[in-house]
Amino acid sequence: MSLKAGAANSPGTHEASRRTFWGRLINWTPYRLLMGIVTASPRRQFLILAAFPVLWLLTQHLGPMLQMLRVSLTDAYPVAPGVEQHFTFDNYARFFGDRIFWQPFFRTLIFASVLTFCTLILTYPVAYFLACHVSRKNQMLMLLLLLIPFWVGEIVRTYAIMILLGNTGAVNLVLKWFGLIDRPIPFMYTSFSMGIGIVYLTALYMLLPLYSALEKLPKSYNEAAADLGAGAWTRFRRVTMPLTLEGVSSGCILVFLISTGFYATPVLLGGPSTTVFAETIAGFFHVAGDEWPTGAAFATIMFVTAMLLTGIFQRLMYAMRKGDTK
Amino acid sequence: MSRSTFNRRRFLGTAAMSSAVLASPAYLRRAHAAGGEVNIWTYNDFVPKAFKEQFESETGIKVNVRLVDDQGKQFNLLAAEAPNPTVDIMTVAGHRFLQFIDSELLAPLDTSRLSNWGNINPTFSESDWATINGNKWGAPILSGMEVLSYNTELVSAEEAQTWDTLFSEKYSGQTAYIIQDMMSIVMLMKGYDGNMVAYMDDPDKAAAIVEEAKQFLIEKKPMVRKYYDSGAEVQQMFVNQDIALGHSWNGPAAALINDGFPLAMSIPQEGSYGFVYTYNIANNAPNVDNAYTFLNAILASPEIGASMTKASGFISTYKDASNYLTDLEKASTSFPEEQLANLQFFRAEANEMKYGLVDPAVEAIKAA
Repeated sequence: MSLKAGAANSPGTHEASRRTFWGRLINWTPYRLLMGIVTASPRRQFLILAAFPVLWLLTQHLGPMLQMLRVSLTDAYPVAPGVEQHFTFDNYARFFGDRIFWQPFFRTLIFASVLTFCTLILTYPVAYFLACHVSRKNQMLMLLLLLIPFWVGEIVRTYAIMILLGNTGAVNLVLKWFGLIDRPIPFMYTSFSMGIGIVYLTALYMLLPLYSALEKLPKSYNEAAADLGAGAWTRFRRVTMPLTLEGVSSGCILVFLISTGFYATPVLLGGPSTTVFAETIAGFFHVAGDEWPTGAAFATIMFVTAMLLTGIFQRLMYAMRKGDTK
Repeated sequence: MSRSTFNRRRFLGTAAMSSAVLASPAYLRRAHAAGGEVNIWTYNDFVPKAFKEQFESETGIKVNVRLVDDQGKQFNLLAAEAPNPTVDIMTVAGHRFLQFIDSELLAPLDTSRLSNWGNINPTFSESDWATINGNKWGAPILSGMEVLSYNTELVSAEEAQTWDTLFSEKYSGQTAYIIQDMMSIVMLMKGYDGNMVAYMDDPDKAAAIVEEAKQFLIEKKPMVRKYYDSGAEVQQMFVNQDIALGHSWNGPAAALINDGFPLAMSIPQEGSYGFVYTYNIANNAPNVDNAYTFLNAILASPEIGASMTKASGFISTYKDASNYLTDLEKASTSFPEEQLANLQFFRAEANEMKYGLVDPAVEAIKAA
């Protein structure tokens, strides 16, 4: 609008814009014709704008999932020479028919749920402090500091936890230095080390939605509640928490879904009794033979279960939010 | 397998070996200056760096190495790419040949194109496992074995003479092993044939033996610190003193010994299994001529075999390679005769039945 006005008011500016690349492009007849065709109707405009995102979604997101689903319904993949591929549900039946696989499956869901809750409890105060008690100027700096570990990959951060928790790691050395222990505590290769690792890796995915929700919360709400005599706990329970449930919901879903799929961290930090379902699935892809379809079926089962649980959780959170607004 | 430490001695050793390789007879000049590339899937340190650089400069053939850490993953990768693989040379363990051959993933090796074939110790190049369907399928390069590795400051040599120590209360929570490999060893501990060749005609007995080994490992599960997969993991656990002893391949253990870590290894009295890594040419490989040029070059001298041993810790299959090792390196890659008498090689004949039983058992142990 202002450009148009400017151009109308100043012929010199108009002439200058014709000399730039964009100016020449706009005035190029084939370009004008093309733009005329593309923007002829809102419907056509929508279709053209939607083409790339839809193509991206189909090839990069849904494509691999559908391929995984297809493989899970076959009896052989990769197909060896002379072998014919058949359609089958046997790979799914194998999961439901053999209890061996239930334990890592349910263990994964329980671990993911517990660790999501722990991440929420640990990161909520951090997000609250950041959003409500740090000046705007310093908030970006604090967020940047929190982001630093995420500049390196998952494996490097997992090894950092190993250095921290190992028998000769920093935690044991400090405990020994203070005379609290004589022999190192075997933190590594336990549920504890695996839990620490996963919480550390997923904390930011919880923190950012929480921060975003808390940052939008007007200070005046809590001040009004205080004026009406509400104590700190009541203000948190009746004002802050209900109004940040959306952030809690987003963070929990993100962390839960990521936690169900972790592979490298449980392998590196976990022990004999912490085998998660991702390891079971990976086993079918490592084992030489026609085991890919079983791995694909198991991956699909975990995906569907995680989606179902997430859907239920979302409905619950929605009901809670709705209840609070009544 | 990645190296965990790099000290002055290793630096000097590597520098000396690099000089030896560079000063060695110009075997590469015999190689036709072909250009192009050769794609290799292999374990870490199996292609010596100095050799690779010289080979590339002499022949103009670029060597592209993709690291693998598991035979099964390698099989799956190749099966997914068949019948037009991107790889020319893979590293298959001798006892896994059959599976690759049955799936038409390997090409028979034309040894007449390898003038340096005779440099391999006949113990490896002419053994019964090396010839299948009248053909050779790979050039043996390194030999390994399943050993009991132990921290010498915590475990005595006497204790390491039996696999029972790995499952003793004394070292509860201080042990680690690869479950799949341990299944074969437990069968051996219990007096059975871990290769399962003896039960090929009796699948019920085979199933009962695997079940017995599985139950044993489930019962002992509370005592193990970690089930691991790669050599680098067990090295790390020893260095961090997370474990006092464990089952391992001799290569990663020897590498730690050469670095000066207080570690030793034994082949316990109940016995153990050995295996041989071979370089193989993929069926329908895109650069077959370059692959043969590479194989012939890497087999050219015992110095190259010794440099592979120095880097990987596995034992060279080349004649006279030990002449180029230091005393410490020789010690870390050799075993007393009485222990070697307990060693037998993995065999492939019953693999389909064996792994059909063992793989689900491994999953059951992990899940238990």
